[in-house]
Parts: sequence; structure tokens; C-alpha cells
Amino acid sequence: MLLNRDDWYDISRDLDWELSYVDPAVAFPTSWSGAGDVPKDAWDKWDEPFRVSYRDYVRIQREKESGVKAVSSALVRSGTYEKLDPAHVAASHLHMGTTCMVEHMAVTMQSRFCRFAPTPRWRNLGVFGMLDETRHAQLDLRFSHDLLKQDPRFDWSQKAFHTKEWGVLAVKNFFDDAMLNADCVEAALATSLTVEHGFTNVQFVALAADAMAAGDINWSNLLSSIQTDEARHAQQGFPTLSILMEHDPARAQKALDVAFWRSTRLFQTLTGPAMDYYTPLDQRKMSFKEFMLEWIVNHHERILEDYGLKKPWYWDQFLYSLENGHHAMHLGTWFWRPTLFWKPNAGVSKDERDWLREKYPTWEENWGVMWDEIIKNVNDDRIEDTLPDTLPALCNLTQLPLGSAFSRHDLADHSMTYKGRLYHFDSEISKWCFEQDPERYAGHQNFIDRFIDGQILPADLAGGLLYMGLTPDVMGDDVYDYAWAKDYLPSKPAPAEESVEREPISI
Amino acid sequence: MAPFPITGRFVGDFVPVLVAVDTDDTWDQIARKVAAHSVGRRVPKPEVSPGYDVLVDGTVMTSDATLGELLGTRTIPPLQWVDVRFREQVGSNG
Repeated sequence: MLLNRDDWYDISRDLDWELSYVDPAVAFPTSWSGAGDVPKDAWDKWDEPFRVSYRDYVRIQREKESGVKAVSSALVRSGTYEKLDPAHVAASHLHMGTTCMVEHMAVTMQSRFCRFAPTPRWRNLGVFGMLDETRHAQLDLRFSHDLLKQDPRFDWSQKAFHTKEWGVLAVKNFFDDAMLNADCVEAALATSLTVEHGFTNVQFVALAADAMAAGDINWSNLLSSIQTDEARHAQQGFPTLSILMEHDPARAQKALDVAFWRSTRLFQTLTGPAMDYYTPLDQRKMSFKEFMLEWIVNHHERILEDYGLKKPWYWDQFLYSLENGHHAMHLGTWFWRPTLFWKPNAGVSKDERDWLREKYPTWEENWGVMWDEIIKNVNDDRIEDTLPDTLPALCNLTQLPLGSAFSRHDLADHSMTYKGRLYHFDSEISKWCFEQDPERYAGHQNFIDRFIDGQILPADLAGGLLYMGLTPDVMGDDVYDYAWAKDYLPSKPAPAEESVEREPISI
Repeated sequence: MAPFPITGRFVGDFVPVLVAVDTDDTWDQIARKVAAHSVGRRVPKPEVSPGYDVLVDGTVMTSDATLGELLGTRTIPPLQWVDVRFREQVGSNG
């Protein structure tokens, strides 16, 4: 008779022993484990919130895989893709290119947990984390591979992280920092807790709902299945947070405050435009701001407060950024569309604009004014004035355009000189993040730094596109070929009734 | 005479941009180089242009002075933030 899992579970996971041949500090360097000043026996209290055996894991994941594969196989054959709105499809190009390789990076992060986490229970869970993230990367690759015949942009699922496309550089920079440059403790706080427990829901739940409404059952199903794993392994962050709050709460607060802002900026870039501009209007389930308020503010932050954390010091600015940041990123990515590997929808037809005004009362004043200028140029056949001749100035922390966290009225110089070099930041908050650990970031060159350093040749926009690996078959342009701008053309006057000269009736 | 990169922001636009200027450029020439990326693209172009003011660290520059002359008096790093705005009209009474 087999034992129940709970009869043997505790024995199976407490696999530590007293090292007698190696100094524990050498076997588990604190620069990797992140244990810091937390005493060794404090980690004995680390207790995972979910229990899984390898046998259970394989059984459950196998069932999930069968389901996903069946849906995917049926839909790829069904011709569903061809019927999808191209504006929505762009969101999946963007997702695959910016997310697939992050899943792969997470395999490495989880493997670090396996080797260096300061408790064997956590090291044990890292195994399942590695398997999860391997699954996610492979699912994305299989999904994209099936669709290569439809659009070469799906090649960017694998290719993107081997290019220097500016958006990809921003994503890589963040995850290099939060996953690979971080010790186990910081990675648990920045990635498991902040990104996985909090922010991924915006992309994998909210956007998945929009995708389902758009008829993209294959992608929606994929995202939802991935998220079932995420919701499980993200829980690794909580026992770590518990121990930090008892022994080093200031460290936990700072790590979370940095990760929270950087996550906000990232998801403003990836999910904000997708939800509020690419998803066809009648298929939008909720706005980006509404979902962020419900999920990040009401749910995620409340849970963190239960652990004794305070809201980040910049909380009011964060709320203000929810009104503006993703609108800035959308306007910027649309205007600089040749630098993208997907085709953005402008999303400012009159009906779409009504929706934006309703959801964001300051939209017209902050963004509409600029779109009006663009619309005028489109309708006057001056497309060249809706395209860039130079690069936007970029933040040395987030790699995103300066000012793109807030509105044009808030745009200000947030810069500092560190060891003789000038650094620019997209906000006071990003500058604060840099100041917490300048040596961590100071050596990095953003795209603009590389440009003026002569690394991008020729030193013009064409050279920039070459450097970014953007080929004509993937380069972005307006997804509807500017058809939406016709909404704003003056309506033709109704033809006047023809006057007919009546001949007198002759009798 | 040497190329010099600045972070040029046109007041009213939502993003500053990389602008290649020359140390021999006057501030008026620099203003036009910065404005070209914003005015008539995202910032409405006025019927009659009032001209431009250029500000470095909040100080309005003299239109026909050059960047090179400023470099002679203080350190200006590459990618220095430079503000350009429509010249403010002085109100007249009655």
C-alpha cells in the first residue's frame, strides 16, 4: 500500500546535512544565496505554501499538456488564425518576441534556486520551477513555430533575444537584473513575488481574456495554461518575504520598491498598448488601468501589506502613471513603428477615442492634441511627418523613453552625473532606483549611449534599424494602413437637388 | 567646429530626442534643429512662428551666441538636456 504524500513529504524535502569537508560559506556564498545577515536557523522556518511531489507534478502537467496540445492542434488546422483581427494578432507577435526567451531565462533563475537557495525546501521547489519554465519556453516556441507559415514575425519568438531591437533590450535589461543578476533572495522578491505573483496577471489573465474575446482561442488557452503554473511557483516568494520581514524588513521593502516600479514600466510598455489600443474595441474586457487597479492595487498590494510591507514611497506617482505611462509608450511605439517587429494599431479612430476619453479623462489634453497633429499629416498625405528622423532619448535604468512614465506636461530633466558620466532617467523614481545601487547599473550603455559611442553604423536611422536586426518583412507600420484616419476627413456635403427646367405643357 | 549630441526637448512634446548639433551652431540654429522633430509632427505648428527660445539649465540663451561659446565657459556633457520653446510673447497693454 502506498503512503499518502503527507505521510512522507516532510522527510523528503528536509535534505540538508552539516557540511564537514567544505566551509558552508564557500558552498553557499551569500552573494548567490542572498542569505545576508539572516541567521542560518531562521531559514528552517521557510515553509512552502504548496506541496507537490514529482509523481503528482508529472501527472498534473501531463494532463495540462494534453489539453493544450489538443486545442492547439485543432485550431491550427481550423483556419482560425486567418480570421483574426490583425491589430489583435500584433499583440501575440509582441508577446512572443519579448516573453519566450524570458521564460528560458527563468529556467536559469530557478536552477539557481535549486543550487544556492538557503533552505533545502526551496531548493527542492526550484526543480519544479525549472520544469515549469522549460514548459513555458517550449510552449511559446511550438505555438510560434506552427504559425511561421502565417507570419515571419513569429520567428522573433526565438530570434528576438539575439537582436538588439530597443524594446527587446529593455526587457532583457530588466530580467537580467531581476533574475540573473540577483541573488536568490532578491530574485524571489523581484521576480517570484513582484513580477510573477503580481504583474504577469495583466498579460496572462487580462490580455488572455481580450484574446479569447477576439477569437484567438489558441493563444488565450496557451496564456491561461502557462498562468496556472505561474500562480503556483510564484508562491515561492512568500516564505522568503516572511523571513526577511522578521530579520531585515528594510531590505525587503527596498527590493520590492525597485522591482515594483521597474515592473510597472515594463508592463506599461508590453500590455498597456495591447489592451487599450490593439485589442479591437468591442472585444476589450476592461482597460489597462482598470485591471491594474483591481489586480495590482487591490489584490497584490493588499497581500504585501498583510506581510507588513508599506506601499512604495512613490505610490501617488505610480497611480498617476497608470493614467499616462502606457499612452506615452503607445504613442512612442506607434510613431517609431519602423523600429518594431510588430505592426501597431494607432487605436484612435473616433469610436476608439470615445472609449479612451471615457476610461482616461485626461487623455484628450495629454495625448489627443498630439494625435490630432498626426491625423492631419496622414490626411494631408504627409506620412513622412508621422515617421521619425531621430531616436528618442532613453532612460539609463529602464531603457525606455524619457518622460514616458507620465504626461507631456510632467516631462522634466531627471539626470545625474556619476563618476563623471551623465545619466538620464525617465522619472524621479527611476533615478532613485539607480541611486540605491549605482554600481549595478553604471557600466551599462543604453541605445543612445551606443549611438554616440559609434557602435551603430552608419550613424543614422537606417544604421539603427540594421543594428536592431529589423528586416523589411517584420518592420512595423500602421496595421490598418491609416484607414482609421478617414474618420477625420471632412464629410462631403450632400449633393444639391437637381433643378429641372419644366417645359410648359402644350395642349 | 565639431559635432555635439544633445538631448533636445521641445516644450509641449512628450519625449525629448537625440539631436546632432555643431559647436559652431547658434542657439537659433540649434532651436530649429530640435523643433524640426516636434513642430508640425506632434506639436501644432502656429500660423506665424514667433521664433524660439532655448534654455540650458533654466537659463535662456542668446539667439546668435554659439554652443561653442558656452563650452568655453563651463562643462557641457554630451547628451546635455536642452529645452526649446516657442518664444514667449511679451503682452502689450491697450
